[in-house]
Amino acid sequence: MARLSKQNHIQLLLTVGLLSWLLPGAGYFVLEEKKRAIIIFVTITLTLCTGLYVGSIGIIDLVGPVPLYVKVAQVMNPPIVLAISHYTAGGGYPVYGWPNEIGQIYTMVSGLLNLLCIVNVLSLAYLGKITQEGE
Amino acid sequence: MPITNTFIILATFTSPEQICPNPQAMLWLLPLTAAIALVYKATKMPKFTTGAFLKEAAILFGSIVAFLIITAWVLFTLAWLISM
Repeated sequence: MARLSKQNHIQLLLTVGLLSWLLPGAGYFVLEEKKRAIIIFVTITLTLCTGLYVGSIGIIDLVGPVPLYVKVAQVMNPPIVLAISHYTAGGGYPVYGWPNEIGQIYTMVSGLLNLLCIVNVLSLAYLGKITQEGE
Repeated sequence: MPITNTFIILATFTSPEQICPNPQAMLWLLPLTAAIALVYKATKMPKFTTGAFLKEAAILFGSIVAFLIITAWVLFTLAWLISM
């Protein structure tokens, strides 16, 4: 990676981090890691969509009586979750039982995987290499 | 017609699926495990080649599933011993 000035480096980190949150894998795409970007985009999007399909959009309830850890994990997903949360606020889409639990688990995991990708792409943009486990 | 189909697909996201609490429902963990293995290996492999990536992801997927099966077996045995 070419040496960048400090200001450009901070701009790159901000851009890459923000893009990664907006669209899973987009940060890797900017850093010319296209295979990683495609795999991450497809996997995280499918996981999120599976959760929404199983539990319905009612599982995204950021203002209701849902545990905080569920809300925090779900917010790590792309901002479409915030739009869905605005739409489902007020309890118009009640979900109970196993569909609720499985849907929440899937959307939480997709959010946490997205967070992992954001942290990792920031590390890649900062260091210019992928750090392996234990480094 | 395509617009109607799009609305039908979107409508399926407004009502939850029917999932019975039976042993088969445990199979829902497999797609989740595959997603975790794929994303983790996609972020951690220093040199990215398709063959090596698929191999590493398959090994991680198998490891997670094996650990889950062993954990379930231990918990089941403990529950059986306690309730004897």
